[in-house]
Formats: sequence, structure tokens, C-alpha cells
Amino acid sequence: MSASNDTELARVAESATFSTTRPDNGLAVRLEAVERRFGERIVLDRLSLAVGAGEFIGVVGKSGCGKSTLLRLLAGLDAADGGRIESDGRKLAGEGGDVRIMYQDARLLPWQSVADNVALGLKGRRRQVRARALEALDQVGLADRADEWPSRLSGGQRQRVALARALVHRPRLLLLDEPLGALDALTRIEMHRLIERIWREHRFTAVLVTHDVSEAVALADRIVLIEDGRVALDQEVALPRPRARGDAAFAALEGRVLDRLLNVQALNPRNQIRGRVKAIRVDEVLAEIEIEAIDRSGRRDVLVSTLTARNLREHALEVGAEVLLVVFKSNEVALATPL
Amino acid sequence: MATTIQRIRRNGLADRLMPWAVPAGLLVLWQAAAQLGWLSTRVAPAPSDVLRAGWELASTGELFVHLWASFVRAAIGFAIGGGLGLLFGLLNGGFRLFERLFDTSIQMVRNVPHLALIPLVILWFGIDEGGKLFLVALGTLFPIYLNTFHGIRSVDAGLVEMGRSYGLSNWQLFRRVILPGALPNILVGVRYALGFMWLTLIVAETISATSGIGYMAMNAREFLQTDVVVLAILLYALLGKFADVAARALERRWLRWNTAFQPS
Repeated sequence: MSASNDTELARVAESATFSTTRPDNGLAVRLEAVERRFGERIVLDRLSLAVGAGEFIGVVGKSGCGKSTLLRLLAGLDAADGGRIESDGRKLAGEGGDVRIMYQDARLLPWQSVADNVALGLKGRRRQVRARALEALDQVGLADRADEWPSRLSGGQRQRVALARALVHRPRLLLLDEPLGALDALTRIEMHRLIERIWREHRFTAVLVTHDVSEAVALADRIVLIEDGRVALDQEVALPRPRARGDAAFAALEGRVLDRLLNVQALNPRNQIRGRVKAIRVDEVLAEIEIEAIDRSGRRDVLVSTLTARNLREHALEVGAEVLLVVFKSNEVALATPL
Repeated sequence: MATTIQRIRRNGLADRLMPWAVPAGLLVLWQAAAQLGWLSTRVAPAPSDVLRAGWELASTGELFVHLWASFVRAAIGFAIGGGLGLLFGLLNGGFRLFERLFDTSIQMVRNVPHLALIPLVILWFGIDEGGKLFLVALGTLFPIYLNTFHGIRSVDAGLVEMGRSYGLSNWQLFRRVILPGALPNILVGVRYALGFMWLTLIVAETISATSGIGYMAMNAREFLQTDVVVLAILLYALLGKFADVAARALERRWLRWNTAFQPS
């Protein structure tokens, strides 16, 4: 993105005004004991969460914790296996006009002009539709790029078009699925200001899924940490807006959430495998332990765990011993406890 | 490297004439060889003879009768075959049910070399128009079918999901997301099909016809008019080039959003 675009974005973020605002626009959402399973894997485990009308929620968590699944349920792109999702006291109909989602990749149609992309799904006369699209584009500072192809825009500009496309429907619930994940740090901060500004003007309810805790602290009223498909932390962010990153209270809160996020419970049922030691090979420094593992479906597999020789002496393993394996990443295996 | 590129850009006319340098050079060599007696006219007539034959046939109007006959056959056969290929490609690409129902059968028929059907086609249709149209349609159906099917299947699923969640109806989803997404592949299929179209037509017309460029060539062979035979071959080359230029024009028009087709 060029320097002139940066200043232009900053100007828009400071000065945008909206004629389309409805008062008390937001949708209140309530999730009760929501469950979602993929095969044997439980992704959302009786998760309950209430989001107030007009509230800005930041959802953080490790990858695979279920935060994106939660968003897809709210968007109606996926259905829960159990529990209830209600909005304003009624069952949430995600595909209706009230809910809009913004993805990590902008998902613009490359064969339509910027304005036509923003107008996607709008009904009415051509002229009115275009006028509304241009108005939305103006809100994100891209009205002058309306007739270009999306391929001519930078990553940040594409996300601004995607934001305009969501806004043009005047959503009451805006879902943001790591929409800034692929942008550079500077563009991100500019986008934070723009999103905050637009949210304050429109008063829609916003759910932002992110892996960036400081992004959640900068934007959200409340930070919800999801771990193993449940809410592990529900932290109010009582900082005045606009929030300054250098601020001590900002940093303290960010630190608190990060600490909690990093403090994984190593032993949870999702990453455990039982097995039996088949062979132990030791040299002076390292030990390789070959373990025959049996997963829940009864499939046998041989895993090799490498530890230091000293570590092995402390564990006192022998061939034939039953062990519990804990997998942290798909390619790393740590030997936990002999049973 | 950079200087070469600049030189070509600066000299637009030379740049445009360059692709024709090799064919023109070959023509000159050929004419020289014929005039110096290195080549017997039984083997290959001089380009000037071919030109004269072309002029004579054109002045009697016979050439245009044959050209028109071939062109009409090609166009109708392509419209039928290409249309069916597009239709089945869209249906089978879009709906699992249709794929399960038709794809295996289409794949089986596809693997039969369609020119092998010529004896049967003559029995069915005689040597009238029907047989030739049938063969051209059969030759153009499969390239378009395969590429349309593949195009539909390779449309970005993220865009389809986005379209749905933005409230597009099935028709709008097809019109604004799926069809344009498949279009680059469909146009590749069209270009392949155009190649097959001429190939099939040549064979069909040389075997059984009473008009068309292929008939003209066969007739000329009977009278040892090698100049007319070569003229027919050149006409096919020109028609093929013309079809390709038309297909490229469609690509430039319909795919102008694609950076690969944008003038830099």
C-alpha cells in the first residue's frame, strides 16, 4: 500500500459519517450448551456464551480450539449437533439478511468490478444498488476505485472492499473471521481504527475471531478465550476508546490473556494416546523409545519418541511398559507418564 | 535482455510482422525450388500456381460455394456438439446426481475415436449432411464437456460459500459466481474443440461429400490438380487460424478481469 493510501485511510477512519445508521442496531445472541462434533472429535463442548446487543466480542484461542467453528455456526454456514443458538430470543437464522461474515481472505469475485462486488446480493434497481455500493465504498475510503478489478487492489484495500460489502447490507451482527490476519502490521492498525469507527457509528453486534490478543484488546468490549471447545476465560476490557497500545493498562491486560492462553493444560483427552514400549535405544546423549500405540478405533501404529538419556533414567521405562503419550503438535511427540 | 524488449516494443510493425517471417521465408524458398526445377509439379506445385488456381476458382465462384459449405457444416456441428458438451458439463459438474447418471457413459463414448465410426455413419446417414454434422458434433462435444466439468468443479469453494451467505439465489450463484469461475476452463475447451472441428470436417468431407473444401481437394486429386489440393490445405490452415483468433478474442473480452489477459 502506498503512503498516500495510508493517509487517505487514516482520514477516512477519522472522519467517516454514516447516513444509514439505525439506532440500537445490534442483535443480541445467546448460545446455550452448543455442541459440534466432527466424527469423534468434539470441537465445541457444550459451549455457552451470551453476547449483548451492540457488543464487540473478541474470541481468542489456539488454532483448532473451535473458535472458527463457533463463527460458522453463528453465520449459519454450519449446524450445531446440540444446544441452542438464539438471537433476540428466537432461533438464529444465520443466512438471513441480518448476519454478515468477513473472511480472512477477502473472497472478492475477481470477474466483477469493485462496485459490483460490494453490490453482491443487493436487490433493487441497478441505479439504486450502485448508489448504495458507492456509499459503502465511500465509508471505507475506496469510492474512487469503484470501477477497477479487485486484482488491482492491495491486500488491505481488498479487505476494505470486503468490509464495505458486509456493511452495505446493514447487518445487525457482523462476524469477523481473522479478517486482518494476512495484512502487514501498519495496515492492520489502520484497519482497527476503521472497524472501530464504523462499529461505533452503526452499533451492530460484532464477533471478532483472532489469534492476535492485542487486536482483541484494542477492539473488543469483552475477550472470550476458548479452549477445548469451552469458554475458558471471559474477560471484560474496561479501557476507554480509542485505545492506545503503549498504555500500561492495555499491556497488562494483553499480558494476562496471553498468559492464560499459553498455559495449556497438557493433559487433556484430545491429545492423548495409550501405548506400549517396544524397544529402547540409548546412546550417551539421546534415547529413542519405540512405542506401539493403539488409538481409539483399535488401529496400531509405531511412534518414536526422542528424549535425553538423563530424562530416560528419571522415567525408568522398560520394554513392555504401558505409557501415555501426549501429542502437542502433529510432528512432535512427548512421552508423558508411565502408567 | 531489457534492451531487446524495449527495441521490440518501440518497433511495433516489426513486432507484428515477426511471426510471419518464417512462413514467408519458406514460401520464397518453395517458389525458387519449383522454378529452378528442383521440385516436380506432381509432388508440389509452385506457390504461384496455387495462387493462380485460387484466383481461377474464386472468379468462377466455385471456391466460395465450397468455403461456405464447409463453414456452415463446421458452425452447425460445433453449435450442436459444443452446446451438448456445455450442457452436460454444467449439469454433471453442478449436480452429483447427473454426474453419477451420465459421466461413466460419456467417458466410455469419449474413448472411442470418433473417426472410427465413419463406416457406420455412412450406413446411417448416407453421404448427406447429417453424417458430417454428426461427426463434427461428436468431435467437439468432448473437449468442451471435459473442460466445462473440470471448470465447474474447480470453482473456489470459498467464493461459493461467500455467495450463499450473502443471500444469492441458486440462479444468481450460478450466473455470478460459478459460470464466470468456470469460464477460463470452458474457453480452453472451446479452443481444443475448434481444432477437432476442422480435423473431423476434413476427414468427413474427403470421404463422402458433394461440396466443401474437402470435396474440392478429393476431386482435384482425381484430375492430378496438385495446385488445387495444396490450395485446399492452405484454406484449412487459414480457417483454423481464423477460429483460433476468434476464440482468443472471446478470451480477451470475457476474461479481462484476469491479470493474464490484461494489457500490461
